[in-house]
Amino acid sequence: MFTTGFKFFFGIGVALSTAAVLYGYTTGGNHVGPLSLGWKGGVGEHLGYGLLVALGLSAIGIALTLISYRDADPADQARFRGVDDIAPTAPVTGSHWPIVGAFGVGTMAVGLVLNTAVFITGVVICAAVAFEWMMDAWADRATGDPQANRALRNRIMAPLEIPAAGTAAVALGVLALSRILLNVSKLGAVVVAGLLAVAILGVAILATSGRRPNRNIVAGLVLSLGVGILGFGVWATVDGERDFEEHEYGEDEGQSEESLGVVDTSTDGDIYGE
Amino acid sequence: MTMIDSPPATAQATAVSSPAAAGLYDFLATTDHKRIGRIWLTAGVFALIGAVVLGVLLGLERLDSGGLDIFAGENPHFQIWALYRFGLALLVVAPLFIGLATVIVPMQVGSTNIAFPRAALAAAWGFLIGAGILVVAVAAGGGWGAVDRATPRELDSIALTLVGMGLVVVSILLASLCLATTVVSLRVKGMTLLRTPLFAWSMLVTSAVWLLTLPILLANLAIAYVDLRGGPGTFTGGVDGSTAIFTQLEWLVEQPQVYSFAIPALGILGSIVAVSAGVRPSRHGLSLGLIGFFGLLSIGGWSQPFFQFDPGANVAYDEKFVFIAFGLLAIVPVLASFAPVADSLARGRDNLGGSPPAHLLGALAGALLLSVGAAAGVARVIEPFRLGGRITVSGVMNLVLLGAVVSAVAGIWFWSAKIGGRTLSPLMGRLAILDLVGGALLLGGAQAISGFLETSDDPRVPVVEDAADILSIVSLVGAVLVALGALGVLAAIVSALRSGRTTEADPWGGHTLEWATATPPPAGNFAEAPGLVMSEAPLLDAREQTSAEGEDS
Repeated sequence: MFTTGFKFFFGIGVALSTAAVLYGYTTGGNHVGPLSLGWKGGVGEHLGYGLLVALGLSAIGIALTLISYRDADPADQARFRGVDDIAPTAPVTGSHWPIVGAFGVGTMAVGLVLNTAVFITGVVICAAVAFEWMMDAWADRATGDPQANRALRNRIMAPLEIPAAGTAAVALGVLALSRILLNVSKLGAVVVAGLLAVAILGVAILATSGRRPNRNIVAGLVLSLGVGILGFGVWATVDGERDFEEHEYGEDEGQSEESLGVVDTSTDGDIYGE
Repeated sequence: MTMIDSPPATAQATAVSSPAAAGLYDFLATTDHKRIGRIWLTAGVFALIGAVVLGVLLGLERLDSGGLDIFAGENPHFQIWALYRFGLALLVVAPLFIGLATVIVPMQVGSTNIAFPRAALAAAWGFLIGAGILVVAVAAGGGWGAVDRATPRELDSIALTLVGMGLVVVSILLASLCLATTVVSLRVKGMTLLRTPLFAWSMLVTSAVWLLTLPILLANLAIAYVDLRGGPGTFTGGVDGSTAIFTQLEWLVEQPQVYSFAIPALGILGSIVAVSAGVRPSRHGLSLGLIGFFGLLSIGGWSQPFFQFDPGANVAYDEKFVFIAFGLLAIVPVLASFAPVADSLARGRDNLGGSPPAHLLGALAGALLLSVGAAAGVARVIEPFRLGGRITVSGVMNLVLLGAVVSAVAGIWFWSAKIGGRTLSPLMGRLAILDLVGGALLLGGAQAISGFLETSDDPRVPVVEDAADILSIVSLVGAVLVALGALGVLAAIVSALRSGRTTEADPWGGHTLEWATATPPPAGNFAEAPGLVMSEAPLLDAREQTSAEGEDS
């Protein structure tokens, strides 16, 4: 009934827990303290008591883990389930969500320190990754056929993923572009905008040519974009925007504040003149 | 974890015959434990190069603290010193052992993959990102507090340092969870805990110790972060910052916790010696017990000098019985581990050739460095000396962590066929290992001795004794040798990769199941599921059985 690993670690756990109680009593604990983990009364010498309790509970935790896996003994697992043999499970397929999740956590970490918007972006990425990862894990064992599992997963997730990914890509692109345009010089902004127009034209030509893009190139571009956005987010936040020239109305252009519709509210706060 | 991951393939699963994945996407999205392990190993080797360069610069600065100003200020000097200490443990030793284990342990226990492979991949990338944030934040003026009044930008960088370090620790914990689960739940039929290979067992113990203690470091980081970003400043010295943050975290690289980074060295020692001597491992159960005992003595989350709120007792943390007992006992399992090793070497002396192979040299030297470090640790806790706050603390750290590095290098040489399908140059290996060992002995040994001359561990306190000045020169020479050794390791790996020569499946006559795979191992590892394991050396069993059948016929 009980596995060898469980008995080994459970025995150690019980021995250490007993030692903790005895140590508590012999170092000045009262009659209830060492038994109640100090909730009612003293436990004697704190450090040694705490150490023994921690190790004892850890050993019991390992014992419970081991018995929940039946010591990883397939014969024992089969006996426990009342079957002849344990069927092999399919290998876990590759997934890009772990690396996206890692970037998400990195984004959260940087955002936590530097910028709330970046932090929220990280949270959103992590939430999306958790959902996707969960769906992948479910789909992996939906049926015995990996291809059918993949088709099933895509049928459910694609209607959600494609609009969400498109929205995110546009939002990130716009955000990154706005940061670049605010940071570079006036001439640089013109050059960047020109390059962007050429890039959009290039993508459009590729898309209409009917050739399927190489998966590795797409992955490389996505990774580069992720690194670029994360790096640029940090850099742009630290570096800030370029200096903008302050225009003083009504001097150079000969325009008055009244002609621009600017209302002085500093006199009496009554903008309607009543 | 089980809620967001697929169940791991059981050890009984037949081999996966999918073609070897290739290309950038497959590299990024891989769930093959060997590729994931190589990410960790690459990160560890490059971090080692960075750490040894910092070690040389710190040695130069220490040599003449009044004259040279390599780091352009007291604060950068302190932060680089702290980065070297935390980096050597978290960015060098941890990824080297995790990488080695991620590649080797699943094969050793007869599994087709690591448990929770997607989580293992997330851990590897999370580590890279966290390490990047940590290093960039320190370079940007951050670190573990500030010596002078910190500017707002420096305070941001300090906060970034803390979150970067937190991400590194979380990634190490996630990888540890995957490794521990692999050893606990994916062992092949017949492989009881008592028959677990020594390296796999040592990684189980290491993972368990890290899972118990590193969350405490995370709590320390969280306290420091909250305190820095608007708390009362109790633990960070207020919004101006202070080096109190470092003081709060330094237990990670001091005894007993620093020993947790060297536990796998004992597993590597046992694994390599028996195979090199060509004999059945001696007293396998005893070796398992000693590794477990050493792991128990390396639990150090409780030993925090910063949180010694015991004004009534008026006893410093390093004067308490438990701390002294841990310091005295730690050397026992390390020295005792040499007993089965010596027995194996004695029984197999006829099988040992003239010059020892690089992996055997490295395994023995790594354990030797660990022994010297533990001996210095004994001197640090005993009554006549009490070397807390002296440079002996750095000496213990350098000896133990560089010993762990040497053991990891030995492991890379030993298992190189399974890691990358190549055999690394034995000559370059011997040279690199001798450099590393000699350098570590000079560096750590000189520091350990210098503590007796009352040299402070704080890099900002100048050296006063002439003899200590000489020891500073010796430790600088040691740091240079360590740097040369690390460069030698990198050169040997690059040379092997460029040569393109693959090697045979079992070049050493291995005992455990990883040597039953092809070289390089295919996806799924085993062409057919391993049979029933009857001892701790299943391949040796098979060879002996074949030999006996040959004699009978």
